[in-house]
Amino acid sequence: MKIPEILMVDDNSADVDLTSEVLAQSKAHFHVNAVNDGVEAISFLRRQGKYDKAPVPDLVVLDLNLPRKDGCEVLQNIKADPALAKIPVVIFTTSQANSDITRSYQLGANCYLRKPGNLPEFVAVVQSMAEFWLGFASLPQREKR
Amino acid sequence: MRVLLVEDEPADVELALRALRQAGFEASADIAQTREEFTNLVRKNSYDVILADYKLPNWNGMESLDVLRAEGLDCPVILLTGALGELTAVECIKQGASDYVLKDQLARLPESVRRAIREKKLREDHRRSLDELARSNRDLEQFAYVASHDLQEPLRMVATYTQLLAERYQGRLDENADKYIHYAVDGALRMQKLVQDLLAFSRVGRQGLDLQSTDSDAVLQLALTNLQAAIQESGAVIEHIQLPVVIADSSQLAQVFQNLIGNAIKFRGSEPLRIRVSAEAKGKEWVFSVGDNGIGIAAEHADSVFVLFRRLHTRTEYPGNGIGLSICKKIVERHGGRIWVESEPGHGSTFRFTLPLERNAREGYGHTNENS
Repeated sequence: MKIPEILMVDDNSADVDLTSEVLAQSKAHFHVNAVNDGVEAISFLRRQGKYDKAPVPDLVVLDLNLPRKDGCEVLQNIKADPALAKIPVVIFTTSQANSDITRSYQLGANCYLRKPGNLPEFVAVVQSMAEFWLGFASLPQREKR
Repeated sequence: MRVLLVEDEPADVELALRALRQAGFEASADIAQTREEFTNLVRKNSYDVILADYKLPNWNGMESLDVLRAEGLDCPVILLTGALGELTAVECIKQGASDYVLKDQLARLPESVRRAIREKKLREDHRRSLDELARSNRDLEQFAYVASHDLQEPLRMVATYTQLLAERYQGRLDENADKYIHYAVDGALRMQKLVQDLLAFSRVGRQGLDLQSTDSDAVLQLALTNLQAAIQESGAVIEHIQLPVVIADSSQLAQVFQNLIGNAIKFRGSEPLRIRVSAEAKGKEWVFSVGDNGIGIAAEHADSVFVLFRRLHTRTEYPGNGIGLSICKKIVERHGGRIWVESEPGHGSTFRFTLPLERNAREGYGHTNENS
């Protein structure tokens, strides 16, 4: 079985590192790809420019506050593109605002998770997210592109 | 003193001014005979008082009130009139006139002017303090916003990474390093809690106040359900009479009960804890009481316990940030009530708060914009 590919879109390298670190500690194997803004995320997903060899992610972990193109726009782009729409998108952000949560789900986010403020919770959230979306959940088969 | 007379009768102008001057006013006057003249004059000049004839050939002196309102000006208007029915007089006052003086009783005019000017000054002072209050509330809310969005983020980095350090390097550096890392983690987590508590406090002010006819007995039950674990663990016995239906925001009232009862549980003494909740109507308000037989509060601290982040004990004795009673105070005051504590150290405390019997809470008090 292929190792699941995660695309993490986050401009906070501390969160990318911590998430990768937590996933590296878990029993299952994951491959974390990281980009730090919304434009890069879309290029990655569409395999444009330097991303022409990029893998098709099984899960997108998306922050909302991003430079150049914000998370909601990225989400909209993904869900409007038939080739990408079936990839589950987990919003992973610090915002607790009800408006952000509602808007994300309205735009087709598959799940909304708040980044916890301490390590034990952070570990629990990231591990359950990976376990659920890349373990228990049945996902569409990856196509060759 | 600058007076604007709305009058077409020169003799009447003269009489009014004479009455004022005799009373010691140094009055200089402009005269407006039409609506246009009046509008131009009030736009250009600032008057201490406007004396308006009730009936003029071209327009109604009462219209001067409309003009002032439309121009957003607050200038006292006293109606001068030959004869005025009682009903019309009442109507004039309702429309915003400060007073009316009959032309054959001009001796009354100086006192009426003095009072109108005094009232205007009071109105201005009142408005200024309200503005100041609203501004300081906005500042606090702005601070809370900054705290939530800009402080929490770096704080999260400090907390998670010092925790990661502790996890990975515990026992691999020297003993001091372990201790220092522990202090750093502890400090970061405590600061997070403070920031969250501050947010909870400021949220009370940002939320609208949803005043409804509310069964406070059911609200108390809800608070007790939320506190179930603490009640069981402490073995507290809670007695209460049938509480009344009041005008209140039910979720905020629940928070008040929860914080007061939660405190009674936290600050219990060595005796088995008994908490008594009651309410009685007194005058125009309900007085609610939450009494306990806990450790009590010394009289000199009776006021300061309601101050934000004020604590009377060390964190090792009793945990907490000193936010609960500040939240209670804010909620009760938004409802137009008061809160205080009566206590004898060692013999328990009774927290009392009032809620108005009628709907006269300071709705929207110090509250700027719900969506901001």
